[in-house]
Amino acid sequence: MFVIGFFSLGVLLIGLQTTLFMVNPLWNASPDFYFVLVAYLAYRHDLFRSLIILFPLGLIFDVLSGVLLGMYPALLILGFLLLKFMASHLPVRESLYQVPMIGVSYLLVSWLVYVFMSFASESPLVPWSWPVMLMRAGLVILCTFPLFRVFEFFNRRIEGKISPLHKMRLRSGNRYRE
Amino acid sequence: MRKKGSRKPKGRFRAFRLVLLIGFLLTMTLIFLVSTLGSQKFGPLHELLFEAVGPVQNIFSRGTDSLRSLKQDYVDLLSVRRENERLWAELQECRTLSYKNREALATNTRLRKLLNFKNVTGLPMVAARIIGKDPSVWFRSVVIDRGARDGVSKGMAVVNGDGVVGQIFSVSPNYAKVLLAIAPSSAMDVVLQKSRVRGILKGTGSLTYQLDYILKTIEVEEGDQVVTAGYGGIFPTGLPIGVVSKVIRKRRGMFLEVEVEPAVDFLTLEDLLVVEQELIISEEEGGVLPVEP
Repeated sequence: MFVIGFFSLGVLLIGLQTTLFMVNPLWNASPDFYFVLVAYLAYRHDLFRSLIILFPLGLIFDVLSGVLLGMYPALLILGFLLLKFMASHLPVRESLYQVPMIGVSYLLVSWLVYVFMSFASESPLVPWSWPVMLMRAGLVILCTFPLFRVFEFFNRRIEGKISPLHKMRLRSGNRYRE
Repeated sequence: MRKKGSRKPKGRFRAFRLVLLIGFLLTMTLIFLVSTLGSQKFGPLHELLFEAVGPVQNIFSRGTDSLRSLKQDYVDLLSVRRENERLWAELQECRTLSYKNREALATNTRLRKLLNFKNVTGLPMVAARIIGKDPSVWFRSVVIDRGARDGVSKGMAVVNGDGVVGQIFSVSPNYAKVLLAIAPSSAMDVVLQKSRVRGILKGTGSLTYQLDYILKTIEVEEGDQVVTAGYGGIFPTGLPIGVVSKVIRKRRGMFLEVEVEPAVDFLTLEDLLVVEQELIISEEEGGVLPVEP
């Protein structure tokens, strides 16, 4: 249920990013929601289930964007592994510092993938632009807090911690028995 | 105890006074009547009375009018809120209608332009709509709502009423991805309409093209029209691509640096036409070739 739920949520985010948040084909200020999902899965969930979610999402992205198949799965998985590594090995684990780390890892992974593609791809790419990429990283950071709240809420709904039945349950009035 | 005899004369006097008053009034009335009937004019007394009563009437009349107006205002005030709500709803409806009309007009103009383009070129075309845009900053492509089932195949040219938009990059049964002509990986055979000189037009990723392989010996001016050459067979000959916006002559090298402004407004792309030209995939060259008729 967790995998299906988060995969569907990822598809919804991809749909939003490629339609509503892309004002025109040259629009640069479209927030990369998928990377926030990558960060959420890296910080909160296990490797196995997260990769099962991220790989097909990357394939979907490949179909909708770009000319090189396999680029997005690589970007998503690389981003996930990097964030997972940082979350478990870096001494700073407070959420306040984790948010900028998401932006930094987004930049790093994007740059690595871009460098790789520049060598691997026959067709040239749009030149790398630091202002644009910094703006995109800023947008990822801005979206992190609200989207993490949404993901947390969604996760609790999936796990059944918040359900309408739970809310409607009759209470006995005895606080100690509950 | 009161005496009975003392009450009687007082009562008589009162009756006499009453008779006297009635007699006086009747006499006066008679005098008024006679004087009025005779000359048919107001006498001084009439005039005096008239002047005295007039202001009173005036005051009462104005008071009544004010009261009536106040009542009317109150009644109006009661209904004005409802009226206001109704008018606001009507205004909203009118605004929505006006917006829809404007939108319909714009769509009509756009589609008319597409239809004209289709009629002028005389090529078989499939109308398509953009349903998604590439969110990446490194590529320039869009997704359209037509696919292999509609006759769309890889390599077909995509145009709109203004000119060339791009080329079909990948196809599924119902959808297709279009590589925009402004993408850095896009290249087209073109000719300068004025001088008939051939060149290769490449995308830059931004809203300009780069025209390569134009020799320095050739006269190229800003404003020169650039159209498709039709050599590769993918794009029909003579489709508008853009206008030369900048010509740079460098000391070194054989070729000019020419910038071309696209004829198509890539920021407002909506409806497209896919040129249905039969193409075969050339495996060796990794490209597409048109089928000879």
